[in-house]
Amino acid sequence: MIAVLGLVAGIVVGLFVQPSVPASVVPYLPIAVVAALDAVFGGVRAMLDGIFDDKVFVVSFLSNVVVAALIVFLGDQLGVGSQLSTGVVVVLGIRIFSNAAAIRRHVFRA
Amino acid sequence: MRLLTTVMDQSLDEGYAAAARARGEVGKRRLPTTTRGRLLLALGLALAAVVVTVSGVTAHDDEPALARQHDALVQKVTAGTAAADKLQQQVEAARTQVDQEQRRALKESGGDLALTDLAAAVGTGAVHGPGLKLVLDDATGTDSGGGIDPRTADDFSGGRLHDHDLQLIVNGLWESGAEAVAVNGQRLTSLSAIRAAGDAILVDNRPLVPPYTVLAVGDEKRLPGAFQDSSGGQYLRILEESYGIKSTATAQRSLDLPAAVGFTLRLATPDSGTPSAAGSTIAPSPSTTGAAKQ
Repeated sequence: MIAVLGLVAGIVVGLFVQPSVPASVVPYLPIAVVAALDAVFGGVRAMLDGIFDDKVFVVSFLSNVVVAALIVFLGDQLGVGSQLSTGVVVVLGIRIFSNAAAIRRHVFRA
Repeated sequence: MRLLTTVMDQSLDEGYAAAARARGEVGKRRLPTTTRGRLLLALGLALAAVVVTVSGVTAHDDEPALARQHDALVQKVTAGTAAADKLQQQVEAARTQVDQEQRRALKESGGDLALTDLAAAVGTGAVHGPGLKLVLDDATGTDSGGGIDPRTADDFSGGRLHDHDLQLIVNGLWESGAEAVAVNGQRLTSLSAIRAAGDAILVDNRPLVPPYTVLAVGDEKRLPGAFQDSSGGQYLRILEESYGIKSTATAQRSLDLPAAVGFTLRLATPDSGTPSAAGSTIAPSPSTTGAAKQ
């Protein structure tokens, strides 16, 4: 219940508070989104696997976002930002896919 | 392959398994039971939702901004074109005034009708008379808007009239006795250039849009036949037969050709002497041969 409230609160904050994103952070937003989705899917899968842990969920989410942004930032400084962000998206995308497949197996038993 | 396999196999954060092992309870706990755990989960979900929605809102807000920028640019271009047109009109008005003054001064100092003839011949004066109207267009199937994709345009760009073709046709008109020629309202002078920029034909650096209307003032009876026999006419026939270029030639009883725009004096300078002397020293030869279009 509290978890759903948290989710709704996050959406409401994002929609209505309209936080102005600083221009320097905007390039990392897509990466952060992919990292966030990865953490959420990983959390759901862990829940279905029966090994969910709230601390691991929050910490993995934060660290994923930070590390992904850091990699892209480093890439930007070295002139390979777009390539590195592609790499981050590919790796996280594969993880999202296989986690989604695991969730599907749990839910539909197929 | 190994990299992909590793990524696929370790899709779940190892921290979950490690935490479960540390607790020693695998497959039991599905959701956190303690208040602290629930709050943490809610915090994590809220953070994820904030990131996703903020990103979505930002992307959504950027769209109208991009459209606004586009509109602003279009408006700028339109305003710039309008300003240029207005300036051109001013130039035209000033030129007409200069012409009138010139004529008046010449009349006072004895008159020189040859100047009018000369102005018509070199293209600085508007002319009126019988002649030939030639309408040329690209073959059907070619994109007439000029919005052709250069990647799909292969080496065979058949059916499109090029600057070189127009040059040969206009030269054929001169050859067959045309006294004045205009293409899409652009009067040709002895210093006019027909060139190309990409797929567009430029006459005096002004891009033309198909169909191309070539007006030639000359003997309405003799000119069409002479043009058919000239090298330009023969070339046009080849273009029609081989490439599907469309052309219609009609003899006209009366044509109005505008004066060429954008003439500047290059060599002639006003005489510092008496006004009457100045009138006679505005000799046609330097002012017309030295005229140039930038």
